[in-house]
Amino acid sequence: MERIRREAESPRGAAVIAAPRLHLSKADRRNLRVAAPFILPWVVGFLAFTLYPIVYSLYLSFNSYSGFGNATPVGFANYQHLTSDPLFWKSLWNTLYYTGLAVPIGLVIAIVLALAMNQKVREVAIYRAAIYLPSILPLFALTFIFIVLLNPRFGFVNYLISLVGGPTINWLGDPKWTRFSVVLLAQLGAGGPALIFLAALRAVPGELYESAALDGAGALRRFQHITLPLITPVILYDLIYGTILGVQIFTPAFILVGGTSGGAAYTAGPDNSLLFYVFYLYKQAFQYSDMGIASAMAWILFIISVVLSVVIMRWSRYWVHYEVS
Amino acid sequence: MSLLSWRGWKASLVFVSVLLAACGGGNTSTAAPLAGCNSGTTLATFWTSHTPPDSDSLKHIVDAFNKQSTATCVKLVQVPGSETDIAKLTTAVRSGTGPDVYMLDRFTVAERAAAGVLEDLSQYGAASLAGSYVDFAWAEANFKGKPYALPFDTDTRALYYRKDLLQAAGVTDLSALDPANGPPTIDQVRTMANKVNHKTGGAYDIVGFIPYLNQGWHYTWGFVYGGSFFDKSSCKVTPNDPKIVQAYTDMFTNWDKALGVDAVQTFVSSYNPPNQPTQQDPFLTGHLGFVISGDWVLGQIATYAPNLKYGVTYIPVPKKGDQPATWAGGWSDVIPKNAKNAKGGYEFMKYIAGEPGQRVYTKETQHTPTIKSLQSDSSLFPGDHQFFIKQLSAAHSRPPLPVGAFYWDQLSTAQDAAVRNTMAPQAALDAAATATNAKLQPFCPLA
Repeated sequence: MERIRREAESPRGAAVIAAPRLHLSKADRRNLRVAAPFILPWVVGFLAFTLYPIVYSLYLSFNSYSGFGNATPVGFANYQHLTSDPLFWKSLWNTLYYTGLAVPIGLVIAIVLALAMNQKVREVAIYRAAIYLPSILPLFALTFIFIVLLNPRFGFVNYLISLVGGPTINWLGDPKWTRFSVVLLAQLGAGGPALIFLAALRAVPGELYESAALDGAGALRRFQHITLPLITPVILYDLIYGTILGVQIFTPAFILVGGTSGGAAYTAGPDNSLLFYVFYLYKQAFQYSDMGIASAMAWILFIISVVLSVVIMRWSRYWVHYEVS
Repeated sequence: MSLLSWRGWKASLVFVSVLLAACGGGNTSTAAPLAGCNSGTTLATFWTSHTPPDSDSLKHIVDAFNKQSTATCVKLVQVPGSETDIAKLTTAVRSGTGPDVYMLDRFTVAERAAAGVLEDLSQYGAASLAGSYVDFAWAEANFKGKPYALPFDTDTRALYYRKDLLQAAGVTDLSALDPANGPPTIDQVRTMANKVNHKTGGAYDIVGFIPYLNQGWHYTWGFVYGGSFFDKSSCKVTPNDPKIVQAYTDMFTNWDKALGVDAVQTFVSSYNPPNQPTQQDPFLTGHLGFVISGDWVLGQIATYAPNLKYGVTYIPVPKKGDQPATWAGGWSDVIPKNAKNAKGGYEFMKYIAGEPGQRVYTKETQHTPTIKSLQSDSSLFPGDHQFFIKQLSAAHSRPPLPVGAFYWDQLSTAQDAAVRNTMAPQAALDAAATATNAKLQPFCPLA
């Protein structure tokens, strides 16, 4: 029996799932009663650990609260304070700069890796494992390795640059390069999205390639006119997912400068260049004991994430193809 | 139809009964909670973010306490955190899983007390211990007239220099660095340091002196220049005190300009990167001629570079005849809110922050005790440690403010701007004053 019906298709042909209409029989209702206790733990968990904190943080964003004692209502003061705080804007800029670079670069690298993993060679399983390996290493370890690799005088990256006559770059000590260093670090995790792209590549019908080849299309044309259009839904997923994760970037900056900053005096990278949004939120909550400001920042970030996602979704109407399923 | 048969219900009942029995039966036992503890003692947890070698010494103190206590058994737990980062503590206390004792940087006690994280220790009679501790340490452990911590260690800062590097650079007359002749002037140190500077391939591999490395903080130079960071009468921070502005200008902006901002920053990133192991410190490895640091470095030298040819003297002063200046920091022990065994925790606090604990810590780590009675025990301060102890009576301390961590970050941001010449010291410190005073104002008056 069809309980959930696909009722409409968009004018451009993309399938859209309509609001489900439930018609429960007596047996279905009995089954639901039996099932309810089994899904109850998840429902309770969701209400207690997701919905309640979300609502509570909205409440706190309009209060002055240290995390202990009573919250004091302050209206929109936390939001007003943030708009006049230069470090808030700095952290926002740092985060958007990172996201704006890391997401598209990561997308390209993931597709290239997926194409490499999709080659029909005998040792492909070994290549796939090797390419995916950095993605399963703890970010903590990767960051420490990165500090060594990016050492301006003794690091391997600057050594390679010097071989082609390039300058000595102070990757983690020069504010012009610090954010880009984190963008590079993020690419070590490209194996995860690459696996998803690999699955998308393998779902492309082979006969399309055969027909194109018969018509004389070269590899580049086949990629441009067959592969790329058919994996656009996955590209859209990766863009949205990457953007949402990108604006929440925290761990690499926290590891780089959250402990000791070596010889430098800074607390969030040179010229606060690694003061990413969530890092600043963390400082507000756990170093300055200002949960009200931290909650206001969380809600602003949520709104930014929603806006970015909506913009990407609307933009995607012009380039995402759902025709072949 | 029933979901479970009668047999199923019975089996479930037995299972739940066994589970409850297993969960609830521990209270009547008199066995020691941990190995090394006496039987009949109750468990108290002690959290610290310290790392070796300091945490090793804390373990020794805990072991000694457990051996002699008939009431409390302490479990030492190393947790993530730092001087100003108490995320682990905050979340644990809120969820009722916090420790009974926590080691907290003393200059943040007022801030954490104001936030409501700490128990007022008046209920345990802590106020009666006031006379046992040096005055500044006790003042830092109090907020609005109530004790919230027992002071643990302290430290003072001084100028370390590498005799071998100076001599190799042709600096043979080191009399200006003899503490018997009083503090050297900044110009004297600059002259010597410039001779030590050395470049290979256009980049520094040895630098004479970078004033802001290690413990050359804003507070250090602000105090050396005679600046005041807080005005009690107006309840306002004063990082833009003209003397502090001058310190920033001379020791951060102009010093870095003279060495070359990019060149010196590349040196710092190469030889003193973030999260560097102590044994790779540029002073210990011969890449730095002078460095400002604390007495704990004596222990590090003994461990990692026992044959180092070094000396210790006062932090240089702006002009001949100026009084030497340093500042003292240190840690403290606190009882967080919702502690399950606060009574046992306080018993341990009195031990670790008292004579027995501080004696062991001083001996093993070369930190300085805050207990007055130990400061006159010269057997605890061999060699150069005596020099640090002598400085303590005139040492400054950071103002114990309910926004101490925020103020520190603001001063550091201004320092970074001054070092990189991205902002004039006056403007950077004005911004620090405005931001910090806005945060501080709701807590005023502080008395």
